[in-house]
Amino acid sequence: MAGLTEAQVQDRIREEAKKALASGEVSAVVGWTSTRFEDKTKPYFAETEAECDLLVWNKYCINGTGKFALDDRYPEKKIAIIARGCDSRALNRMLRDKQLKRENLYIIGVVCDGKENAVCEGCQHKNPLTYDVLIGEPVEEQMNAERFKEIEAFEKLTPDQRYEYWAKQYDKCIHCYACRNACPACNCVECYADQYRTGWQGKAADREQNQVYGLTRAFHVGDRCIECGECERVCPMNLPIMRQTKKMLKDINDLFGDYECGLPDDAMPVLGTYKLEDPDEFM
Amino acid sequence: MSIKKDDNWEPKILAFCCNWCTYTGADLAGLNRMKYPENVRTIRVPCSSRVNPQFILRAFQKGADGVLVCGCHPGDCHYATGNYFTRRRFMLMQRLLEYNGIDPKRFQAKWISGSEAAKFRDTVTEVSAQIKALGPNTKFVAPHYDNALQAKEGGAE
Repeated sequence: MAGLTEAQVQDRIREEAKKALASGEVSAVVGWTSTRFEDKTKPYFAETEAECDLLVWNKYCINGTGKFALDDRYPEKKIAIIARGCDSRALNRMLRDKQLKRENLYIIGVVCDGKENAVCEGCQHKNPLTYDVLIGEPVEEQMNAERFKEIEAFEKLTPDQRYEYWAKQYDKCIHCYACRNACPACNCVECYADQYRTGWQGKAADREQNQVYGLTRAFHVGDRCIECGECERVCPMNLPIMRQTKKMLKDINDLFGDYECGLPDDAMPVLGTYKLEDPDEFM
Repeated sequence: MSIKKDDNWEPKILAFCCNWCTYTGADLAGLNRMKYPENVRTIRVPCSSRVNPQFILRAFQKGADGVLVCGCHPGDCHYATGNYFTRRRFMLMQRLLEYNGIDPKRFQAKWISGSEAAKFRDTVTEVSAQIKALGPNTKFVAPHYDNALQAKEGGAE
C-alpha cells in the first residue's frame, strides 16, 4: 500500500463511512467485517456510526462488494460501497447495463494491493476507476502479460481431451447458481435459469443441463466479464468457470481489438454492437 | 430412430435459414429443381440474429450432427443490422464450441442471398460431405438422444 499501512486504511475507511452516514444521504455502508476466524472476513452493512467501527480492512477482504448494490435497485437513500479496483469495475459494469443509477451510489474507493485470492495475482486495476472519495495513493498499474496464458495452454489439447475435461467439470455442477448470484455481469432482473416453465433450462443437475447452463452463462457474460473471479471463488464444486469466460475475452481481443470491461468509458459490450469492418469468415 | 454403425449412415444437419434471404434461396433451389442432400432439416427464422446460441447447444444435444446458420450478406439484412450481430455472435460461438471440443465444421454460418440458389445447394452439399466424413456427433449428446450409444447398445442387435 503506497503511503498508508493497513491499519491506517482501516481507520480512513471507518472515518469515511461515519462521514457518509452522518451526512444523512447514505443509508448503509457496504464493506467487510471480521469473523471468528482470523483468516476470514465477511461482507458487512454498517448502518449506524457504532457499526462503522466494525468495518475492517486486511488481506482477507476478498468478497466483492459491488454486487450488493443490486440488492436494492431503487433505494430511498444512497448506498455507500467500499470499492477496490474490481468492485469499482463491477459497479461500472452494472451502471453500463443500466441496472443502477450513479446518483444512488456513494463509492468509497480504496487502493488495493491484492488479497489472499488467486485471481488477484493477475490484477490489472488496483486503483478504483470510479469513486466519490479515494483512500490511499494511486499505484502504478501493471499490465498482465500472462492474462490468457492458461487459455492458450488449454487450446493446445486435442478436441477430445478438451471435451472430456469440460464434461467431467460439468458433471460436478450442482445447479446452486452461486456463480450467477456473485457475478456482477449476471444482473438480469429475472435469470433465464429461473424461468423454469419456458424450458430454457432444465432443473436436473445432470451433464446435459449443466453443459447448457455453463455454456449459456459463459456466452451471456463472456463479453461483459470483468475478470473479478467471484464466480470461481464462490463455486462450491470448484469448477474453473473463468476458463470459459476468459476464452471469450481472448477471442474478442483477437478479433475485435483490445478490450476490457468495467472501465468508466461508455463502450458497449462487444456482442451488443457491431462494426461494418468486422472480420467476415462466413462468406 | 436409431442409427446403426454402417456405411448407410447419413448425418442430420439442422439449418437455421433467414426468412428473407436463405429461405428464399432454398425455395428458389427447389423451384429450379436443384438436387441437394436431403439430410438437411431447414428451420425458418425471421433473421439469422434470431438464432440464440442455446439453440445450437440443444440441437447437438438432441442428435444433430451439424448445425448451419444462414443469413443475408452483410448490408442486405431486412432489418438493416441483424446479421452484423450474427457475425460477431457466431464467430465467438464457433470458437467457444471448438474450445469445448466440437469440430468447427459441425457448426458453420454462411451468407446466402435470396437469388443464390446454387450457393445454397453447394453449401449444403459441402457441409453434408464434411460432416459425413467426420461421422456421428458424440459430444454434447444427451444420453436419451444419443444415437451413437443406441447404435452400440440397442441398434446393433
